[in-house]
Amino acid sequence: MSDQEHKIVNGIDLEAFQSALEVVGSQPAAKHAPKASRVRWVDGLKFKAQVRNHTFIVDEPAHLTGEDTSPNSVEYVLGAYGACLATGFVMNASKQGIKIRNLEVSLESTQNNVFTFLGLEPSTDGHPGFEEITAKLFVQANADEATLRKIWEHTITTSPVHNILTRIATIKPEVDIIA
Amino acid sequence: MAHNGLPLYPVTVVGSWPRPSYLLEALRKRQAGQLTFEDFNAVADRAVLESLRYQEDAGVDIVSDGEQRRDNFYSFVVEKLEGVKLMSLADIMDAVEDKAAFDAILRQADAPAFAIHNTTAVGKISPKRSLALDEYQFLRQHTKKPIKIPLPGPYLLARSMWVKGISDSAYPTQESLAVDLVEILRNELIALRDAGCDFVQFDEPVLTDVVFNAGVKERTFMCASMSASSGDPTKELIFATRLINSITEGVDGIRTGIHVCRGNWSRKDEVLLKGSYAPLVPTMMGMHIDQLVLEYATPRAGELAAFEHYPQKKEIGLGVANPRSDEIETADFVVGKVKEASQYFAPEQIYLNPDCGFGTFADRPMNPAAVAARKLHVIAEAAGQLRKSAN
Repeated sequence: MSDQEHKIVNGIDLEAFQSALEVVGSQPAAKHAPKASRVRWVDGLKFKAQVRNHTFIVDEPAHLTGEDTSPNSVEYVLGAYGACLATGFVMNASKQGIKIRNLEVSLESTQNNVFTFLGLEPSTDGHPGFEEITAKLFVQANADEATLRKIWEHTITTSPVHNILTRIATIKPEVDIIA
Repeated sequence: MAHNGLPLYPVTVVGSWPRPSYLLEALRKRQAGQLTFEDFNAVADRAVLESLRYQEDAGVDIVSDGEQRRDNFYSFVVEKLEGVKLMSLADIMDAVEDKAAFDAILRQADAPAFAIHNTTAVGKISPKRSLALDEYQFLRQHTKKPIKIPLPGPYLLARSMWVKGISDSAYPTQESLAVDLVEILRNELIALRDAGCDFVQFDEPVLTDVVFNAGVKERTFMCASMSASSGDPTKELIFATRLINSITEGVDGIRTGIHVCRGNWSRKDEVLLKGSYAPLVPTMMGMHIDQLVLEYATPRAGELAAFEHYPQKKEIGLGVANPRSDEIETADFVVGKVKEASQYFAPEQIYLNPDCGFGTFADRPMNPAAVAARKLHVIAEAAGQLRKSAN
């Protein structure tokens, strides 16, 4: 194969990507990847979330009296998990020069007891967090099954959102009452 | 020894006073469009008189109306000018491309976007009403004392009102907006002078942002300086000086001042600026104004020795009480500050005031009125001691 064919795999310029990784890796502060988001109430059950210069709406489905203009918070988490797994798989496969023809991640989830969030049951009766998530990768790629499965396993264990869902973060809530 | 009809070491205020709850309610209704300008002012009249009573009881010599009619010290111009709109930072962030920069300001300020409003030029500006002549005329009916009227400075207004992505349809540059602002402010100064106003103070807190955040082009929330700076402090300070001088040039018969602080809108010192006035002193000396109204009650302001190369060149409104602290200063503390200032200013050049207003933003007062009043009482007590010693 030519150098040109090695350079861009699955739309990723591997040399540029490697250079970017080296730059990031040279900055110790980048290890903790600080992030920020600001979420504003719009009206009803609709909210506007802003991250860097991006904005997205969070809404509730119609059956919960939202306008259903966008996913709700839990659905965003599910979508984020799928996107994170997909990102990791494409990145890891591309690093090995594996061409991907098609890729999807299908997810389903259940929550322990969302009625506690809705106030239909007391909080002692469980919690509204995820009970179980199934995440299924569908992939067509130029590699054997064993290789692809190995990449998938590595993707899961190193996925940031997977670790968000399976580890416990320290949450520090604060409130400022504005007069 | 009296001077210009005033006692030695005149006691005054920087401007704002805490708003009573009924006034805040009326302000909210006004902002929601549920109260007319006239009806709101009828409510504010009562609050102005209450603020005046506190000041007169404390022994203040030059009074203000407590800025009771104002949402904050500069955004009130939205009621007075065509072509401006009070936009929440939330609305601004929706309209501009560089949302992240504004988010950074909010994080530094530890404030929500919905609570910060900015007077933004959305079209060509022109006077709808006088900026503060009405405030002066009302107060004049109720006191015989000299009156100080604070006005937002031209540099502050140019920096805050010009927002790229919103204002550039009417004003391609911040400088083009400043031309119209200077004309409006100059006309207001002349009108106040002609009506008998004693003292107009131009608030320019953003100047400390220029020198203490030198080289930073991004906006800071230092008093809502929404427009990005050029990043060149010299250029900005020359611009600010040119604007002030264009307003005051040739306007005699009224005392003018410039108030420069480091921000007194939060009790969290870490979100506020700090540093000596030394980098600003040459600029302030080049401004055609009578008095520098400065904060000196806390260590963050640096030393008065910043004026050692400019002795007795201008009056000083010496900040001797911290509007953000619960602790009541002592008369000895105030007297000590005056003695220090006396190395660089003649006695008749020294005026005494708190570091800043007590209610820079209407909905975030730094202290209740009772505490603010006690601080003024102490300043007046100290002034009394100093006058006695001088006789």
